[in-house]
Amino acid sequence: MQVYVDRAKCDNHGQCTFSAPTVFRLDEQGVLQYEENVDESLRDEVEEAADVCPLQAIFIK
Amino acid sequence: MSTDIAVPYLDISDPTFAMHSDQVRDARAQHWYAKTNYGYAILRHEYVSKLLKDPRLSQGSGQWPDHNGVHSGLFYDWWTTCLLVLEGDNHHRIRRLLNPAFSPRHIEAYMPAFEALADELVDSFIDKGEFEVVNDFSEPYATRVLCILTGIPQSEWTTIARLASTIGLALSISIKDELPNIEDALAELYGYAEALIADRQANPKDDLVTKLVQANAAGDTLSDSELRNALCLLIFGGMDTTRNQIGLGLREFMRRPDQWELLAANPDLARNAVEEVMRMNPTTTWVTREAVVDLDYEDLHVPAGSTVHFFTQVSGTDPEAYPNPEMDITAERAPHYGFGGGMHHCLGHFVARMDMTIAMRILSQKMTNLRLGGTEEWLPDSANTGPVRFPIAFDKR
Repeated sequence: MQVYVDRAKCDNHGQCTFSAPTVFRLDEQGVLQYEENVDESLRDEVEEAADVCPLQAIFIK
Repeated sequence: MSTDIAVPYLDISDPTFAMHSDQVRDARAQHWYAKTNYGYAILRHEYVSKLLKDPRLSQGSGQWPDHNGVHSGLFYDWWTTCLLVLEGDNHHRIRRLLNPAFSPRHIEAYMPAFEALADELVDSFIDKGEFEVVNDFSEPYATRVLCILTGIPQSEWTTIARLASTIGLALSISIKDELPNIEDALAELYGYAEALIADRQANPKDDLVTKLVQANAAGDTLSDSELRNALCLLIFGGMDTTRNQIGLGLREFMRRPDQWELLAANPDLARNAVEEVMRMNPTTTWVTREAVVDLDYEDLHVPAGSTVHFFTQVSGTDPEAYPNPEMDITAERAPHYGFGGGMHHCLGHFVARMDMTIAMRILSQKMTNLRLGGTEEWLPDSANTGPVRFPIAFDKR
């Protein structure tokens, strides 16, 4: 599964890190870092992260 | 060098202190933060955006009851365990379990009910050519939206509004004097919440409370008391804010009839219109945090335990972030922080955005030539602001 975050939209609130902590994290500067290629077993978590993103900036291919 | 920097000072407890003032705009032009009599105030958008989400700052209102002489009891137990003040893993666990039920995917199903409510309220005064925003629209609308969302009968909205307002007294400095009333109101609200939870556990429906009851993350679920606390927080946090923000939005539009007509002709702009009025005039004019550890950022040093206020209205009109800060509902803007930010970003913001979008769209479709229709009264232009009384006269469209 391919994960893509629209950096122009993302505002680094970090809500996605609660849903899928192994895919999304905030670095020491508070900037979102994420895995682009994610195992299919994490689909539910990543979909939840995309659903709850305040800026709706997460997309799954 | 930091010693060369003149840091402005703002007395935020002065009764005449106002966000919309030359004093605050001058302070923002002078420096990115100000000292206040209660900690620091962050004034510029770039810095609000950065520091509001900084994990070295906690939500900070967990000790509010203790600071005001309240150390135990029903209110104390609720406040000190509700999502608003939780930090770290305790917060993340509950936030994760609550978040999905408030996502657009689930909230959009409520749109027809919110539209029917807005239509009903507007129809009750549309032929009179005038209405009082708070009594005739924003308070019943905001409260009945919460009834629709939770499944409480809408006929009980005046009780819910009274309970939410009474619990809201806990945020005032009269918390200790009002404590018996606050606790009675909270106990009554607990009754509503516990009945809803028990009912949806026995009789699941396709609604928000059922989604919360069934929320499950890798086997983890919300306990009955966590569910009850969350429902009470939803009602406590969702009523005044929405009521006030609708009034603030209508005031912005009354000043800019060209924008109101643009909205009426282009109802798809309603969502952007809500963002624009929240940028220029958020009901939550500041968001407060407390430093968990010593925090240094550029020339700012915040000792652990100190307060930092993020001035949302001031950062939302910062000319550095918004070169043309005048109201423009067609503009694509940098995000505002009227819903706070970071891990404590408002949980119910998708609901609030949707219900206010519907309200602004339907109001603009039905009335034109908005003007003041009597004596208006407003809360102070700081902390949480909004109309107490806001009569509007209009022509039916």
